[in-house]
Amino acid sequence: MEEEGPGATVHLLCLAASSGVPLFCRSSRGGIPTRQQLPFSVIGSLNGVHMFGQNLEVQLNSAKTEDTTVVWRSFHDSITLIVLSSEEDTSELRLERLLQMVFGAMVLFVGLEELTDIRNVERVKKELRASYHLIDSFLGDSELIGDLTQCVDCVIPPEGSPLQEALSGFAEATGTAFVSLVVSGRVVAATDSWWRLGTPESVLLPWLVGSLPPQAARDYPVYLPHGSPTVPHRLLTLTLLPGLELCLLCGPRPSLSQLDQQLLERWWQPLLDPLRACLPLGPRALPDGFPLHADILGLLLLHLELKRCLFTVEPSGDKEPSAEQRRRLLRNFYTMVTTTQFPPESGPAEKAEDVVRSTQLPKACYVVLGPGSGWQFVALHLGMRLLLLLLSPQSPTYGLRSLATNTLHALTPLL
Amino acid sequence: MAAACTRRSPDARDEDEDRDSENADSVWGSDTSAGSGSTDFEPEWLDSVQKRGELFYLELSEDEEESIFPETSTVNHVRFSENEIIIEEDNYKERKKYQPKLKQFTKILKGKRLLPKCYNKKNSNDNGPVSILKHQSHQKAGIVVQQMHKDVNIYVNPKKLTVSKAKEQLKLLEVLFGIIHQNKWSWRRIGKQGSGERLVVHGLLPGGSAMKTGQVLIGDVLVAVNDVAVTSENIERVLSCIPGPMQVKLTFENAYAVKKETIQPRKKKTQINTSDLVKLFWGEEVDSIQTPPHSPHIIMYLTLHLDSETSKEEQEILYHYPKSEASQKLKNVRGIFLTLCDMLENVTGTQVTSSSLLLNGKQIHIAYLKEFDKLLLIGLPAEEVPLPQLRNMIEDVSQTLKFMYASLDGALQQAKLHSSVYPSAQQYDVSSSVLLDNLPGVQWLVLPQEIKMELDTALSDLEAADFSELSEDYYDMRRLYTILGSALFYKGYLICSHLPKDDLIDIAIYCRHYYLLPLAARQRIGQLIIWKEVFPRLHLQHSTDSNFEVFQEPEGRYFLLIVGLKHYMLCVLLEAGGCSSKANGNPGPDCIYIDQAKTTLQQLEGVDSYINEQLISSSNTCLSCADWFLAGPHEKVDSLTTSPVLSRLQSTSKTAVSPTCRRTLFGDSSLKTRKPSPSRSSGGSDHGCEGEEGVSTNLHTTPDVVWKQRESQGSGGSEESGALLKITKKKSTFPNPFHLGNLKKDLSEKELEVYNTMKLTSGPENTLFHYLALETVQGIFITPTQEEVAQLSGSVHPQLIKNFHQCCLSIRAVFQQTLVKEKKKALNGEDHSHSTNSTVSSFSPVKEYGVLFECSPENWTDQKKTPPVMTYWVVGRLFLHPKPQELYVCFHDSVTEIAIEMAFKLFFGLTL
Repeated sequence: MEEEGPGATVHLLCLAASSGVPLFCRSSRGGIPTRQQLPFSVIGSLNGVHMFGQNLEVQLNSAKTEDTTVVWRSFHDSITLIVLSSEEDTSELRLERLLQMVFGAMVLFVGLEELTDIRNVERVKKELRASYHLIDSFLGDSELIGDLTQCVDCVIPPEGSPLQEALSGFAEATGTAFVSLVVSGRVVAATDSWWRLGTPESVLLPWLVGSLPPQAARDYPVYLPHGSPTVPHRLLTLTLLPGLELCLLCGPRPSLSQLDQQLLERWWQPLLDPLRACLPLGPRALPDGFPLHADILGLLLLHLELKRCLFTVEPSGDKEPSAEQRRRLLRNFYTMVTTTQFPPESGPAEKAEDVVRSTQLPKACYVVLGPGSGWQFVALHLGMRLLLLLLSPQSPTYGLRSLATNTLHALTPLL
Repeated sequence: MAAACTRRSPDARDEDEDRDSENADSVWGSDTSAGSGSTDFEPEWLDSVQKRGELFYLELSEDEEESIFPETSTVNHVRFSENEIIIEEDNYKERKKYQPKLKQFTKILKGKRLLPKCYNKKNSNDNGPVSILKHQSHQKAGIVVQQMHKDVNIYVNPKKLTVSKAKEQLKLLEVLFGIIHQNKWSWRRIGKQGSGERLVVHGLLPGGSAMKTGQVLIGDVLVAVNDVAVTSENIERVLSCIPGPMQVKLTFENAYAVKKETIQPRKKKTQINTSDLVKLFWGEEVDSIQTPPHSPHIIMYLTLHLDSETSKEEQEILYHYPKSEASQKLKNVRGIFLTLCDMLENVTGTQVTSSSLLLNGKQIHIAYLKEFDKLLLIGLPAEEVPLPQLRNMIEDVSQTLKFMYASLDGALQQAKLHSSVYPSAQQYDVSSSVLLDNLPGVQWLVLPQEIKMELDTALSDLEAADFSELSEDYYDMRRLYTILGSALFYKGYLICSHLPKDDLIDIAIYCRHYYLLPLAARQRIGQLIIWKEVFPRLHLQHSTDSNFEVFQEPEGRYFLLIVGLKHYMLCVLLEAGGCSSKANGNPGPDCIYIDQAKTTLQQLEGVDSYINEQLISSSNTCLSCADWFLAGPHEKVDSLTTSPVLSRLQSTSKTAVSPTCRRTLFGDSSLKTRKPSPSRSSGGSDHGCEGEEGVSTNLHTTPDVVWKQRESQGSGGSEESGALLKITKKKSTFPNPFHLGNLKKDLSEKELEVYNTMKLTSGPENTLFHYLALETVQGIFITPTQEEVAQLSGSVHPQLIKNFHQCCLSIRAVFQQTLVKEKKKALNGEDHSHSTNSTVSSFSPVKEYGVLFECSPENWTDQKKTPPVMTYWVVGRLFLHPKPQELYVCFHDSVTEIAIEMAFKLFFGLTL
């Protein structure tokens, strides 16, 4: 996530807790996967300190140097994940969530049984290879934010209801409850059952679909880290239009061949125009012509209960900063806001403060960056919704809150 | 009487081996010097000077002595006592064991005046706390047995004494043992007690044999002499029966065991005396006991240098505290810390700063500080101290230690300094004042020009050091010390400083460490004299610049002299070497300098009342109480619309909160000296507040009147005034009963006087709740004084302030990151062509950070109505240019404020 070249690297280590054998090691530099690896002695001592503490009933969670953060996390006492990041503004929250995602991805491909009871290390290593590209996509720069927010990235289609109807009809016709329409990793529409998927997989599945190279149709065996970590399901994807895929999660039936051209045409041919309208939605998230204030450069709307989010940095895309920088700024702002003002509902850290803040609830907050950038941020918490905005320096500081309030009111019917 | 009461007993648990070495490192007074021969000419503190010339002498003023008694006890005393008893038990056992062997040895040495201390302990445990107050040394975790009684054997020779002091027949206890029992208190309460007053040790005579044993402590109760039960009735009779030189066994009831039982109110009160003092000194430490004993915390000093030759156990641990079970676990995993420190530095090229781990289900942060090949660690539970604070804390601790002992090594490697290290770290345990303690500054009280000038003159006179005895001509020799600067505190607020920022902060941290500032605020000091060699960072940083144009600090030695008198405290930094004569050995406190400092304070006694008034009545801004803004239940609760408060306030009628608050704070006469702003002269803003007169009688409707009046006044003509609003008002009511005393005075003196108040917020209504302005160049900050806050009273307001402080902490953490990055950027220069790219994307520099809070009364009992809601902002603003300043304000949501404007108003004229 950092373009500074040599300094900013992320190393992800995965070790078998019982034997200390490294299962894999992924690194990225400046958002691009690299082959550069930590020396084995370092891997060994990083794992060693963690293991040593565990023997003495002390669980080492994280360590910080002036520019690097290390986070340890062990899963089911059998897998130890260690991440070492020297990205600027990196936070423990981000790294912890990253590790949760990575472990989810591992389970998704290999299944929990294989990981908790490692008999043959070599076989596990081989099987885990399938998950590399998904894991790498977490380490690198992504257009999505679901890995950090643990909410499903969504887009709002201009004509939602016909799509939703078609989806339900199609689901009924194929006999699967879990169907969704995904455009470049973001969910356009989904059946109720799909929305009820548990946390890691609800984010992981669209992310996976978005990160795979384009193919007309796929049939993937997947374990669901939350819902079904030991019994695999099938993930079927069908490309309706380039970039727009129909995803089904199902058991042994229907087979891919059953979803023949006829069935698809019957349900989706009439909706070709609304589907086409969805295609450019990917990075924009909001339908064309949605009224947004001109000062808004980036927007992140979270629904904390439904676990869905809207994330876009498209508005006034011609202005500074670049989309990538905007994404990074908003990610950082989200991290800051989540760690300080609006802690997640069931965070262990939140409990201590809860007592004090019971009558003093934070509702909104804003940040103004100093000379050189001048970007402004505002976060507004209302009910179950949390809105974060990146604003241009021209916007008056005192007006930030009313701007956010109006924007949130306008967005409320959408999500 | 006063002198005796508070004189500290000598180092109680010092070992006899240790005594010959430099135990004088203890900052506490112990009477190693011959005390009995003091004449009238010698100052009373002379006995307390230690071998290395250090002095810590405290005496409370007489009236305070007694006024302490009615003070209510706080809960933590009782908890505290548990630890104490353990220690007593320890000593007791050991004493029993070694007593016979030592007895003779004792006698011999005593005759030669070589052994003024106790010998009750053989070296078996390495906790060498040098406490005088026994409370300090609660390190030992042992079997909890309540030791109720203890026997102390004291050798007395009544013949020697009765010759010289025959007339003081009634004071045998004092004469023989040096134990003071205040009879005055006895007969006052004799009605309650009936016959036979218990003999509580109220004080120990310096140099007296009881003090020398170190086993008799203030608050103990003497129950028997040679197994004969004694009370105040028969004590003199019993003692007069001592025929000649002999060993007398005194049986004491342990003060703290007694207190646990809390049998008699009188006794308890006596202990409060000691405890209260203790609380003042080790106050925050005492508070920290309130945290459950199992909450794991640790301080360690480790060396990374492994010497495999010596086979000492745990040789890498140079210092470790405390020895509780939980911290033992942390100690056991020290390998983690050492490995992390070393490995991460190798991998990343930067030093490890912190780590967090989970122990017993609790998250614990560990802060690291590496110096050369030594590593200082502080670990505290996350729920008590957030990480950014812990980082500040470890910096502070190391700074304090360096200030006091030159280097971390020096401070921590000598086991005997344990006790003094510990509180400095522990003092941050309590969260209430964490924010203010962490700030690199001293709270400053803004005073009117005239007073300030007077203070400045007084300090300058002292610093000039040209009075007769100090001038070089007088004795025709070089003067001993140059006065580098001085700072004057009043009730814990800095009121005048002639010190550079670094020195000022060093001294402030030192005072905070010993809890001196609150001491001066709460109890009037009879006399406080501290003399200590210090190592201020500013003067000991030798510039590597070989350029002779640059000022080179002389290779001198530095001494800190603190003289306290009543509520004043004067800190003077002295330099020996340089242009004064070089210091040899360990020079003790110099009478002349102390006397001069005292004289300076005495001169200022007249100003006392002015400052006090300033302190109580106002600082330069007026505040609102949060409770006034809590709208009535019928109010539409819509936090999102920024409806102007005025419309809301007009309809406010049945606020549940008591409106017993003053609407405005009065009087900043410093403002008079400023140029009046044009708006002030506009008649519209002058406004007599008659509505206030009815406050006490008509509690519910009055705020309405006030509000309406304010509003009408605001619309009337002061829209443009904004910055400076002059509010005239009669001081008609002072509803706060606690300030009744001032009230009367104020009423009589200034019934009709006109006061000016600066209003910080814009708009007609004053919406400011609290503020904190930090000026890092001078090392000062201003914030409303406690007195001011207390006047606002209200039920929600204290919560709001607490929340404000908490929020400030998190905001400040962000600012500190920004400052670090800015520093880095400045170091790197602008040669990084791609640096622009990274700055755009990185989340810094943050210059303003605001949080909107919504609050409602805590215990809202009315089920039918929804509680009223008030929203307020906490905004932090960081100024990098021209000089780093931080401002935190807390104001009501109704008026949009621009932080930079408020900052300008607050920082205006803020110069020392």
